[in-house]
Amino acid sequence: MNTFMTREALEQILDQALQDVTEQTAGVRLHQGDQPPGEDLCTVHITFDKGFGTSLTLCADTSLLARMARNSFHEDTVTQEDLEEFSKEYFNVLCGKITGAMYRATQVAAHFGQPVFYHGRYEPQGQEVQFVLTYADEQSEGAQLIHHVPCVQETQAALNET
Amino acid sequence: MKRRIMVVDDSRLVRVQLEDVLQGTDYEIAAHCRSGEDAIEQYAVVQPDLVTMDIIMQGMDGLDAAEIILKNHPDARIVMISSLAYDDTFKRAEAIGARGFVDKPFHQEQLLKVFGQALR
Repeated sequence: MNTFMTREALEQILDQALQDVTEQTAGVRLHQGDQPPGEDLCTVHITFDKGFGTSLTLCADTSLLARMARNSFHEDTVTQEDLEEFSKEYFNVLCGKITGAMYRATQVAAHFGQPVFYHGRYEPQGQEVQFVLTYADEQSEGAQLIHHVPCVQETQAALNET
Repeated sequence: MKRRIMVVDDSRLVRVQLEDVLQGTDYEIAAHCRSGEDAIEQYAVVQPDLVTMDIIMQGMDGLDAAEIILKNHPDARIVMISSLAYDDTFKRAEAIGARGFVDKPFHQEQLLKVFGQALR
């Protein structure tokens, strides 16, 4: 995804989009920090198409996502189904904001598919971490936004096939 | 009398958000369809004044569903609400006859403006 822009510029877009969408969608303010999520976490993952081959993953404390879901649904408790539904829609909107900002900066459209939700941590196959942005809220619940790019070997293999 | 809206979105969250921003306005949610296929079936039953249509959904996407609804009901007023805010998406939505486009996350002012334009 960042073939068309510097890593710093991409990080800035991701950071701004995450903070804006989280506050607007769920009323939670996140700030960058260095404490990763704990062991009880959930992951949402999106893959970008049109040859980008990159992906974005959000790993967050389950308690953080549950609070965001409760705020958004205006409910005191949320079910597992609500948590998954909220997480997918939130990440869908977040990725839309990110790709929209990238499009304005580069005129390159990065379309993406349906978000996939996992309980626990998920590592996409054939990809490696390019960078991680770590966040915490005022209750010290954590989240990480992870940008994955194709592994060098995978990219080389694909080039050899063409 | 309030204008009746049929919400087409696979997320319940979007319905909740729309209910929030439409509170106290001249619009009410008459139905919520969670797929394009459901929307095609329900349109004739609900007969809404306006349809809000997501694009990325399980099964048929919102642009295809909007195209079919407009083919069957040329007077349908459809506004796309999506996070896929690109020129190519705008152009396809316009080409099939959608009356407007709102990108997520949406604001009340922006939404009401597009709804008003779509219903002119």
